[in-house]
Order: sequence, then structure tokens, then C-alpha cells
Amino acid sequence: MPRVVLFIALRQLWARKLLNSIAVLGVMLGVLTLIAINAIMQGFQVKFLDNILKISPHVVLLDKQLRPAPPILARFLRRPVVAEVAHETPSDRQLRINRPLELLRSIEALPGVVAAAGSLNGSAVLVFGPKQYPVDMRGIEPVSQDRVTQVSSYVTTGSYRALTGSDGIIVGAGIAQRIGVRVGDRVSLGSPLGQTLSLKVVGIFDAGIPPVDATRVYVSLRDAQAILGKPDVVGRVEVRLATPARAADVATQLEAVFGYDAESWQESNANFLALFKQQNSIIGFVIGAILAVGGFGILAIQIMIVLQKTRDIAILRSVGFRRTDILTAFLLQGAIIALVGAAVGDLSGHYLVRFLGTMKTKQESLVRSETFLVHDDPKMYVYGALFALVVGLLASFIPAWRGSRVEPVDVLRGQIG
Amino acid sequence: MTAARGWPEPGEVVLQCERVMRELGGDVKTRILHEVSVSIRAREFVSLTGASGSGKSTLLYLLGALDRPSSGRVLLDGVDLGALDDDGRGALRGNKLGFVFQFHFLLPEFSVLENVMIPMLRRGRRSRSSARAHALATLEKMGLGELAARRPGQLSGGQQQRVSIARAVANDPKIVLADEPTGNLDTANAEGVMGVFESLVRDEGLTLVMVTHERAFAARASRQLVMQDGHIISDLDQRGPSDG
Ligand SMILES: Nc1ncnc2c1ncn2[C@@H]1O[C@H](COP(=O)(O)OP(=O)(O)OP(=O)(O)O)[C@@H](O)[C@H]1O
Ligand SMILES: [Mg+2]
Repeated sequence: MPRVVLFIALRQLWARKLLNSIAVLGVMLGVLTLIAINAIMQGFQVKFLDNILKISPHVVLLDKQLRPAPPILARFLRRPVVAEVAHETPSDRQLRINRPLELLRSIEALPGVVAAAGSLNGSAVLVFGPKQYPVDMRGIEPVSQDRVTQVSSYVTTGSYRALTGSDGIIVGAGIAQRIGVRVGDRVSLGSPLGQTLSLKVVGIFDAGIPPVDATRVYVSLRDAQAILGKPDVVGRVEVRLATPARAADVATQLEAVFGYDAESWQESNANFLALFKQQNSIIGFVIGAILAVGGFGILAIQIMIVLQKTRDIAILRSVGFRRTDILTAFLLQGAIIALVGAAVGDLSGHYLVRFLGTMKTKQESLVRSETFLVHDDPKMYVYGALFALVVGLLASFIPAWRGSRVEPVDVLRGQIG
Repeated sequence: MTAARGWPEPGEVVLQCERVMRELGGDVKTRILHEVSVSIRAREFVSLTGASGSGKSTLLYLLGALDRPSSGRVLLDGVDLGALDDDGRGALRGNKLGFVFQFHFLLPEFSVLENVMIPMLRRGRRSRSSARAHALATLEKMGLGELAARRPGQLSGGQQQRVSIARAVANDPKIVLADEPTGNLDTANAEGVMGVFESLVRDEGLTLVMVTHERAFAARASRQLVMQDGHIISDLDQRGPSDG
């Protein structure tokens, strides 16, 4: 492209500052919206996933055997034993993870695994004075569990370590608030199939995830086994990975090696992830539409300019400019409008995001936060600019093409006799 | 040896029409040029006159590679213009031809100097600074040096017309084609433009084809063509052997 084409494009843009700045404004608004909406969406999603990943394991090995050992009778008879199977009762096949210590050791030896811990979960009822409250009880080995999900960092009052002693319980901040327990209070925790234990509240945790904080309690594994009536049973093994994104692969691998059902955090939170995905595609569509509107701004303005500039195009063509020069000149104008719009949009988007980040709102649904949650993602600025550029080039293509088809002789015939 | 009236001796044929026919119009075609044949030689100053609608501009556009004949051939330096594609003709216009139209076609967003420089920059034969110097020199020669920084809108009609002549000649064309360059000017300005043209042909060896309605100006050319209804009806070479 001859440099003079750029020179002409720039000068013609500048000569119609007002008109072109309207087009720039259209693009800017599109990019600004893209940056701001995306920062808000991601702010929530990133924070949510972040919290989830801190308090939840990356992979869980569940007590469900994928290839259960055949009944003893069948092993003995070496043929299918339909009638005998029907006699089995649930207690014959208690759900548990066999030889948990060995299993933990082999899992921790796997590449990519940072830590693993055995635990037993179940529903229980917490009683404090006259108040009863159903809870999601987690029986854990405090030291090893803390390496998998760092609960200790969420303990706001009391001490996580105190759980290592007997008869301690750590309750979620939401529970504490609802039933009014404090560190040092005694509560009882029980389930229909086991004992009811009297426990001392040794700590209160606040993970910043209301649904978790309002339902979860931690007790020692031994206490949980007693409460659920499952002595010596380990119901699940929680695993922490070096790269959380690899969770699905590791889950498959664990299933293949150990024969227990394994679930990645993505699987456990599939409903949220699917929701986010849908949310993102709706937002993407909206942003696309806004940018397309910006594109139509460029299109309309450039068509107008091309119509006004027919004479100038004829002059340029008669003094030796080629069709492609004219095409390039108008495409350049579209690209420059788009890039200036994107730059202004990026900049104002950045400040808007920063402003939103300081804005006070009370959020209490899936994540808790005092301010607007925003995630300022540098990638989005580049995407915004690229998207704007594509829209700008597409929008100016029609006017540019029209301009390049102007025949000087038609203009001359129309104007001089 | 100097020819009559001080015109330089013409050189080889540079522009040639061979039975050029041009039809225009949509469904109903009108024949505007009827098999015109004419040869123009280097350093000739050709005037083209004729009644309005006789086909002068049409012929000029064909000679200037702005249009293609319906049949016949136009040869510029032996190259058949009809055989060139659009870009080929564009390049040829930029490299060999200069145009002056009846209405000073200048680009309003660019200064006078930039208007003169733009064809040179596109041609790319000179550097930016050399193009600038040459454009300035050309403007000065035409008494426009002081106006170089102005926009076309800030000039009088006569000044604008001289700027478009400067633009046409500054790019070192072989041939300049002018369509009623004095049509919109008062006598004094028209005389100025004629003076510029005459000195360009006489002193710089330019070849010029000029369409005009002014008999007096036509008569000052070295060769006069007259058109009527799409035919050249008269071709008068002023440098007769009588002068010797
Ligand atoms: N697009 C067109 N379609 C059909 N006929 C046309 C078209 N343009 C011009 N003509 C006709 O072609 C003829 C020649 O036009 P041209 O412009 O060459 O005349 P001219 O000699 O330059 O006239 P003038 O002195 O008025 O400039 C005229 O009769 C005109 O009506
Ligand atoms: Mg004419």
C-alpha cells in the first residue's frame, strides 16, 4: 500500500471529525460494555469458583465401588446366583472405602497430587438448648484434611487445631448466627443410626459462601463415625491437585486404578458451571449485538461519506490511484475508527471497572462480598479491540467497495458537458 | 530549426486513435463517436473545438485512458488502452498523463501544495521531499507560490484552475489533456492559463490536447481539430511549409 493512501485516509477522517467521532462513540460504547459486563460476570464467577476451590477438594473418591466384588456364594459356585443375591440386605454391603490408609498413601504418590485425606460425611442434627438444626456433618482428620481443603484459614474465632482433641466441633458462621452458639458453648450432635455426642464448640468458620457457612460443621473423624454409627468407616477420600484444571483427568485415572467412583470439582459443581456457561453465552450475544450496532454506525456514516466523496474519488482515480487504493483508504478509515473507539472504550472501561470495584453493595447469595465483585481481565481489552477491528472492517467494507467502483468518467460526464 | 510561430518540431506519434467508435446509453445506444482516426505527435499543441455535444469530451476521455472505445483502438506509446485492465489504465494515467478539467477538480481537505503533490506521491518516482520541492517550484512558476499552504476553497476560480494545471504538469506527464480549462474564467484569467500552456509546450516539450470553445484560443494552437456530430471534420496544422 502506498503511504500516500494512509495520508489521504487520515486527512479525510480528520476533515470529518464530528461525524467520525459519532462512529467512534458507537464503537467505544460497545467495547466499554464488553469490558464492564464481562468484569462483573467474571467477578462473580471467578470469586465463586475461587471460594469453591478453596473449601472443596479438587477430586473426591466416593465409597461407591464401580466393580463390586461378586457375592461370596457366587465366587464359590462360579456361576450366576440370582436367588442368593436377592437375600442380601443393605448392611451386608456397607458402603465404605476399604483399607483407607493404604489407599491414601498410593493416591498421594500419584503425580500431580498434592495431598489426600479420608473423611466421613453425613447428615446430623445439631441441638443447642431448645434449638434443633439439621447440618451437613464432615468428620475429618484435621491435620491431613487441612492440606486438602484449607479450612483452618477460614476459622474466624476459636482454633482449628482444637479439633484434634476429642469432642470438639467447628460450626459455620451462618449456623452460629442462626442458633446463637459461640465458641465454648456445648452442643449435641446426633443421627438416627448412631449415638448423640455432646460436643464443645471450638471454632467458627466463615468461608464466604453462604450456602456452606449456613449448613456445614466439622468434627473429628472418630466422632463422626460414632454419630453415624459407622465405626472405622471412611466414606470418602478428598484429593488436592497441583493443577485444578486437570481434575477430570485425575478422577478418571483414580477410577481406573482404585475402582471407586471419583468425582472432579467440575462434576460436583456441574450445575453452576453450566449456569455460568449459559450466562456467558447470553452476555456474549448481548455484547455482540451492541458492537454490531456500533458497526452499523460506521456503515451508515461511511456510506454517506462515500456518496459525498464521489467527486474526490474520481479525481484520485484520474490522477493514477487504483481501485484497491480507494478500497484501502476507506477500509483504513473504518479500521482507525474502530481502533480509536476500542482504545477509548478500553480506557474508559478500565476506569469504570475500577470504579465498580469500589462500589459498596451487600451480596449474600452464593458468594458474600461487601463491594461489587469485578474481575479486571487483561485479555478482554485485547478481545474488545480485536472484535471492534473486525466489526469496523466488516462495516466499512460495503462503503469501501462502493467507493472503489466509482468510475471517474461517469462523474466527469455528469459534471462537465 | 524552429517551426512556424515558434512551436517546436513535433516528434513521433504518442497518441493514436484507430477507427475509434463509442456508443453510450442503456437499452437504446447512441453513437457518439463515429470511427474517429487521429494521431497526435509529441510536442504538439492540439486544440479541439466543435459544437456542444459533438463528442469532444468523449474523445478526450478515450485519449486519456478514462474510458474504453466500443470498437477501434486507442494507442498510447503503442500500448492498446482497450487491452489494459482497470489498474493498468490507472497506472498509465498516473505515469504518463495529466488532466485539467473544466471545473477545477481539487481535493478540498488538502492544501494547494498537497493537491499538487498527491499524484506524484502515488506515482512514487520522487521522494516526499523532492516531490514537495518540485511541486513548490511548479506552483511558483505559475505565480501561485504564496498560495501553497491554502485550501482550494480559499482561492479564486482562476487560481484554482492554475493549481489544477500545476497538478497536471508537476507529475512530469508526457501528455496533458485539458477539457475547457478556460471555460469558467474571465478574460484575464483565461489569458493567464493559455500563457501557461503555451510556455509549457514551447519551453518544456509538453504535448497538449485542449478542448475549447474559444475560437481565439483554438487558433493559437499548433494544430486545430474541429469536431461535428462525432466526426473530426477539420484537421489544420498551423506549421505549414509556407513559413520557412
Ligand atoms: N451517458 C450518456 N449517455 C448517452 N449519451 C450521452 C451520455 N453522455 C453524453 N452523451 C451524449 O454524447 C454526446 C457527446 O457528448 P460530449 O460530452 O462528448 O460532448 P462535448 O462535445 O464535450 O460537448 P460540450 O461542448 O457541451 O462539452 C452528446 O450528444 C451527449 O448528449
Ligand atoms: Mg465537453
